[in-house]
Amino acid sequence: MEISLDTLPLDDYPSELGLDMKRTDQLQGALEMVILKTLQSGAKHGFDIALHVQTVSDGLLRVEEGSLYPALHRMERQKLIDGEWRVTPNGRRARYYALTDEGRERLAQAELSWTTVSQGIQRLLNFA
Amino acid sequence: MNSLFAWARRRRDSDAEWREEIESHLALREEWNAAHGVEPEDARNLARRQFGNTLATLEEVRAVHINPWIDGVLQDAKYALRGFRKTPSFSIIAIATIAIGIGASTAIFSVVDPLLFRSLPYAQDEQLVSVGYFGPVDDQEFNVVSSYFDWQRAHAPFQALTAMRPSSPCDLMVGETPLRLTCYSAAGNLLGTLGVTPILGSNFTAEDDLPRAPTVVLISYELWRSTFGSDPKVIGRKVSLDEEWVRIIGVLPKDFIMPERGQVDILRPARLDASLPRNANSSSFLRTFARLRSGVSIEQARGLLRPYFDESTRLDVPASLRSEVRMVIRSLRDRQIHDVRLQSWTLMGAAIALLLLACTNVANLLLARASARRNELAMRAAIGASRGRLIRQAFTESLILGALGGAAGCAAAWGLLHVLLRLAPPGTLGLDQARIDVRVLVFALIATLLAALLFGMAPAAERVRSGALASWHTAGATRTLFRKILVAGQVAISLILLTGASLLLRSLWELQNRALGFQTEHVVTASFTPGNRRYQSVAAQIELFRQVEESMRRIPGSGSFALSDTIPPRGGYTRPYSNLRIAGRPPLAENGGLVLCRWVTPGYFQTMGIPIVAGRAFTEEERAAGESPVILSAALAHRIFGDENPVSRLIELDGNDHWSQIVGVTADATNSGLTEPPGPEYYRLRMRTAPFLPRSTVAVFRTPVDPATFNHWIRRQFAALDPALPVTVQSLDEHLQELRSLPRFMASLVAAFAGIGTLLAAVGLFGVLSFLVSQRTQEIGVRMAVGATPARIALQVQRQAGFWVVAGLIGGLAGSLALTRTMRGLLYGISPVDFVSFAAAVAVLVLVATLATYAPSHRAARIDPAAALRSE
Repeated sequence: MEISLDTLPLDDYPSELGLDMKRTDQLQGALEMVILKTLQSGAKHGFDIALHVQTVSDGLLRVEEGSLYPALHRMERQKLIDGEWRVTPNGRRARYYALTDEGRERLAQAELSWTTVSQGIQRLLNFA
Repeated sequence: MNSLFAWARRRRDSDAEWREEIESHLALREEWNAAHGVEPEDARNLARRQFGNTLATLEEVRAVHINPWIDGVLQDAKYALRGFRKTPSFSIIAIATIAIGIGASTAIFSVVDPLLFRSLPYAQDEQLVSVGYFGPVDDQEFNVVSSYFDWQRAHAPFQALTAMRPSSPCDLMVGETPLRLTCYSAAGNLLGTLGVTPILGSNFTAEDDLPRAPTVVLISYELWRSTFGSDPKVIGRKVSLDEEWVRIIGVLPKDFIMPERGQVDILRPARLDASLPRNANSSSFLRTFARLRSGVSIEQARGLLRPYFDESTRLDVPASLRSEVRMVIRSLRDRQIHDVRLQSWTLMGAAIALLLLACTNVANLLLARASARRNELAMRAAIGASRGRLIRQAFTESLILGALGGAAGCAAAWGLLHVLLRLAPPGTLGLDQARIDVRVLVFALIATLLAALLFGMAPAAERVRSGALASWHTAGATRTLFRKILVAGQVAISLILLTGASLLLRSLWELQNRALGFQTEHVVTASFTPGNRRYQSVAAQIELFRQVEESMRRIPGSGSFALSDTIPPRGGYTRPYSNLRIAGRPPLAENGGLVLCRWVTPGYFQTMGIPIVAGRAFTEEERAAGESPVILSAALAHRIFGDENPVSRLIELDGNDHWSQIVGVTADATNSGLTEPPGPEYYRLRMRTAPFLPRSTVAVFRTPVDPATFNHWIRRQFAALDPALPVTVQSLDEHLQELRSLPRFMASLVAAFAGIGTLLAAVGLFGVLSFLVSQRTQEIGVRMAVGATPARIALQVQRQAGFWVVAGLIGGLAGSLALTRTMRGLLYGISPVDFVSFAAAVAVLVLVATLATYAPSHRAARIDPAAALRSE
């Protein structure tokens, strides 16, 4: 896969160099898809999302809890999800996120292209 | 401002919300941990570890919400400022250079703005025009009362036509002391036509403007403030003006100026009398102004006035002058800045040239800095900083430089304006009305932005090219080519400035040193005008003149002494040439223009140092005998008599069959202003009794006595004669210096700009050459190692500098030839393509360029080959 330098959002200056891979578009895209998929079954707060991903993927995927929030906020700004303060069953205040129509659309696209790419890679691996 | 606070508050609120969300996550995790068998005391700590760095997360969330573009700009700004702090000498030089450019152009803009751009202090000023005859009587259009009355009927072009007399001195008695003020008489509809209303009291009524109405006056805001202490009860008050009791009915607005840009203290109704015989009104001088009907253009107005104009020309203009008279209708602004438009544009042009030079220099500095940082830039480009990003960074840097320089420039402009006010005599170019106000600051802001764009463009363009890692080693050639072109441009612009300055200086020199035809040293003049009331009768005036003559002779050291109505270098009264008649000769040619005339006492020629070239001067005996001899100037004698001797011929001057004998011929003396060659002139003897003498009078002394002491004696003598008679005492040299003050002001200002500009160009050249030498140290080292002599190396650097300087000189000469032509009106006695001025400008620039080349070329020659080769 070719990673174009221009797409790297490297806004830092040379003195502050250091490539931070978790910020690349590709991985952000994956995290975004995971979050969208998780929210498909209903609104959840951040901790719930982290827990859900861990549980459902049988511990194969781990979302670093801290890096979840910048992603959530970015997606909220992009109007893919909608955030709202609610009270948890245990009586705590937490911010719940739900999919918007746009978010659902984006999820459908992402699932489709993910399936295509992974099938392609799978076939490639099988062939070799 | 409010929205800024709101933004800050919103930002604080959302910050708290983001924190709360993270806290809530930690609490939920802690709860979950505890529920899954973690000891309660460890549950919290584990939650924190599982979450990672909360502060970093908060920072990232924040980054999501802040507009990334603004954030980037802020980051750029921070980075730029850090860079400037790291290189203080670069920053100071760049900011000071911008400050010079912005300061000079802003100060000059503040001076020319009211003249060229700002709307006049009248309602809908674009409708106002100046109307009149233009002919060999005056250098501006004028009118006469009878024609003015005729044109009042021209309703098609004009909504209103109004008139004013030229300004005249008048004396207001305030307590015991007379105050010499500037009075204007104007038609009652002047203010109405201009769309101005008094700020206090009322305007003239139609009755006030009737021929024999009692005098009422409007006073200026300044007079109201200074003399009447801004007292509103001044309305209705009676004051003594020219020894007549007049009633104040109103106060003019603060910014009011007369339509020909005159400053007025007191405005009286002109009370023109249409019932007077036509020939009385047709010799009565006026300036007329009109408000065009809406939708009527100046061109159309000319057509619509034409029939009225032709009719009054036939009635009012002597046949001999008719072919030399034409109609003028032009916008009021053109009329107002008639004599300063060229000066204004020249100064503005010089200031803009200086600003351009400053921009080029800063561009050059930024380029030099960019090449010093090119490794850093290439690195940034290589790791993915986009071109747009690098260009934005470049422009942010230049905008910040511009902002700092612009702010310093505004301060510099304020200072420069005060220096100008100090240097220039009052009234020059309306300087006393120049202010640094919002308009001027907006100009400074726009100029700064444009300048920043201009000098920011160079490094930005560079960065696009160096946007690839490949340019790491190859950008050198193009980079220096660009900088050399900049230097050539600087040389060109400063050559234009220098040529302009040297033309103005040489013209000033001509003006200072031209032969005037009279001698100015040791001549002191005392001007006075007998008041209208006390000296109403000719007899009273003649008596005053006699007393003045007698008492002036009593002043110790008064040397030679004379009375005249006016003195050179200006003329006094004029008559049409064709009115003169010579006994035994056919009438003189028509359309001969005008002849000047002065009434002088016998001592005049000796006192002024005007030589008699044929015949003799007037004598006291002739005066006593009541004869009326005439003396001609050489120009007039030659024009009438050619090579014949005019002495003892008879001449008739007034068309009244009174024949006077020509007793002598004088050499020509400047009489049409300092810049014009002497015109034809004749002198009449001031008689002890005469039916008419001009009221304004000048007593002239040639005295070895120190002017200050003499001044005091003159004033004492006048005070003894009539304490209420104001006198202006001045040495003739001072008077001439005043007349030369505008050319001197222009020349020194443009010369100063040219000097600074040339210095900037020299710095630019020096910078580029130094850069070249340091960049090619190794190459030079190799050449020296294989046998090039230091002299050859130095010569090579100089030759390179020479090429670009010569290119600049050629461009500059072409520009100068094109631009200095427009300065023709500012030059006296020299042509706009004066060889000496051009040569001087080129010589100065070549000298400066040589000096700027010297240090870098010698540094190149001193390079040690061994050290240079080792240095990589």
